[in-house]
Amino acid sequence: MGKLRFYFALWAAKLSIVALRVTKRNGTNFPGKLAVKLCPDFLKYIGKPGFIIAITGTNGKTTTSNMVCDILESRGERIIHNRMGSNILSGVCTSLIRASGFTGKCRYGKGVFEVDERSSLLVYPSLQPDYIVCTNLVRDSCRRNAHPHYIFDIINRGIPKKTKLILNADDMISSRLGKDNEKVYYSIDRLPGDKERPFNIINDMAVCPECHSHLEYDYVRYNHIGRVCCPACGHTSPRADFLVTEVDGAGKGLTVNENGDVYTYPLISDSVFHVYDQLAAIALLRTMGLTNDELADAMKPMKIVGSRYREDVVGGIKVISHMAKGQNAPACSTVFDSVRNAAGEKEVVLAIEDLHDNIETSENISFIYDVDFEFLGDDSIKRVVVVGKRAKDMYLRMLLADIPEDRLFICSDDDKIADYLTYTKGRDIYLLYELYQIPLYKKLWGHIIRRLKETGGEQ
Amino acid sequence: MKFEMLFPEVANLFGDPFNVRYLARSVPECEVIKTGLNETPRFMTGDVDLIYMGPMPEYAQELAIDRLKPCKDRINELIDKGTVFLITGNALEIFGKAIENEDGTRIECLGLFDTVAKRKMMKRYNGLFLGSFEDMKITGFKTQFAHSFGKNGEGLFKVIRGDGLCPGAEFEGFKRNNFFATYLIGPLLILNPEFAGYILKLLGTDSKPAFNDVAMEAYRERLGEFERPNIEYYS
Repeated sequence: MGKLRFYFALWAAKLSIVALRVTKRNGTNFPGKLAVKLCPDFLKYIGKPGFIIAITGTNGKTTTSNMVCDILESRGERIIHNRMGSNILSGVCTSLIRASGFTGKCRYGKGVFEVDERSSLLVYPSLQPDYIVCTNLVRDSCRRNAHPHYIFDIINRGIPKKTKLILNADDMISSRLGKDNEKVYYSIDRLPGDKERPFNIINDMAVCPECHSHLEYDYVRYNHIGRVCCPACGHTSPRADFLVTEVDGAGKGLTVNENGDVYTYPLISDSVFHVYDQLAAIALLRTMGLTNDELADAMKPMKIVGSRYREDVVGGIKVISHMAKGQNAPACSTVFDSVRNAAGEKEVVLAIEDLHDNIETSENISFIYDVDFEFLGDDSIKRVVVVGKRAKDMYLRMLLADIPEDRLFICSDDDKIADYLTYTKGRDIYLLYELYQIPLYKKLWGHIIRRLKETGGEQ
Repeated sequence: MKFEMLFPEVANLFGDPFNVRYLARSVPECEVIKTGLNETPRFMTGDVDLIYMGPMPEYAQELAIDRLKPCKDRINELIDKGTVFLITGNALEIFGKAIENEDGTRIECLGLFDTVAKRKMMKRYNGLFLGSFEDMKITGFKTQFAHSFGKNGEGLFKVIRGDGLCPGAEFEGFKRNNFFATYLIGPLLILNPEFAGYILKLLGTDSKPAFNDVAMEAYRERLGEFERPNIEYYS
């Protein structure tokens, strides 16, 4: 009965793909959704590639997945992936439906799937990945993810015994996944900007997971990401198999010590988030058997996609856009930290509220009290302009962060954003925006660039 | 003035420690005592003006229960004496009778209030809340795995829209004297500057909440949204 139901679901889903194509509708997720509705065990029965990689984690899973896919495809490998669809069960199923024939047999040898952390229990037991990469587990939307310990528990319960794990040794939460699984760890050695003690508002790993004593950090990169040791029981961060020993922003090189052997790769981005993403991809693909030279060659032309980070210089003024991922406090704080640490003076436009929430409901803004708005109080940041429906909440948050009132502005008309900036030579403009605010981001970016082009830059 | 935060190294979810930071910012002189899991609470050895505990991961609830069980009589005494307690998010559950898991296991809590929290770990509850307290309208957010059932002391916020302690309940949260416990996060006091003013009065100060004008503007705007008939309360 199960198999019969599966074929019915598969054919219905395949027909829906044809129907979507004929009607020119964009239902990237629909075939999988339909299949799972008709056959809840669909993922168990659908044909899968012989070799499967799953990539999960709070931050960096999309970038890491894209890198891994690009590298494998640049080597001429045909891989199935869900990069154009969603990363939940229905998205994974949609990719597999597209990759299979009418008998359900998969036509690809290798698969790379980005998997939403919360979908782990639904996906992994049926997908049975050969490798799971977990980039990190940090605080994310409280509505969906509650807290990282909850997400840890969900992933941990879903990991198959045979799966090899590629884990971030600098994250004391996700590095504890899969107690009995085979594991490869990666880490970034102490960097110049790292701190002695946790410096963010939130630290989800303040007490030892073994004995609940206060942990001591050798150094902290952000939130609870860093090297840590328990003075009471000796529990410590795992030793890394792949250790970044140098991030050379000027020479664009990333030096990795791989169990004693040292290699340098082209640095794709010097943002610490992206260094972790690149390192995760290196650890995975090296473990899979790619040579250092093959990896370095494949990484040479790579760039981080423009929708997340973009730089432009018009009339001598640099404009930088950076996705800050609203509802995700560590991501926002890290972006704020990088802005304050960037050289020179800056002006910041903030568009980090959740667009969808503000249409249907009223956004839960508690996350802004987890975000280190205090970083925007740095003296190099000469003004912060906040846009959107939650602008007053953010304004209040920034007052509580002791940012002088004369540096704070609310722009209640998006079309007038260009009027709120000063366009001073040597002062960069940062546009920080939320994942679902891309139309607003484009609008704001357009207004600022247009003003710069019209006036020739400095005013 | 002395404010004691209990177990802030774990009881710190959803920005809620800012409840205390906001109060501290509102009074001229104030000491904020952060009591860790391995320390004896200051209220055991002396008087403090306010005791705060915020939302935490589920494993931490058990640690907090373990640490507070020996303090139960003193907490009762302080409640009777009129000490101000502000307990937010799932920290509320610790003061009830028990927390029940879906597999039937049960965690015995302090039993100061007659409620039992029932967790549904794969069904996170999120929503808005609109209620009243005296002549104030109260707004807040809920994000939790459990609801609390059973008789409680005095209800805290009368439900206008959204769910109270459990679906169908008349009140959100519970109180006894100056002990206030609520599932509402936000942080509650920043979202509701009038209620923050009420707490400040209980603490014996005439100080207004910090940045009161800006906070009131944000509050009015949110209240307007929460009162809109077509707004989605559950998500």
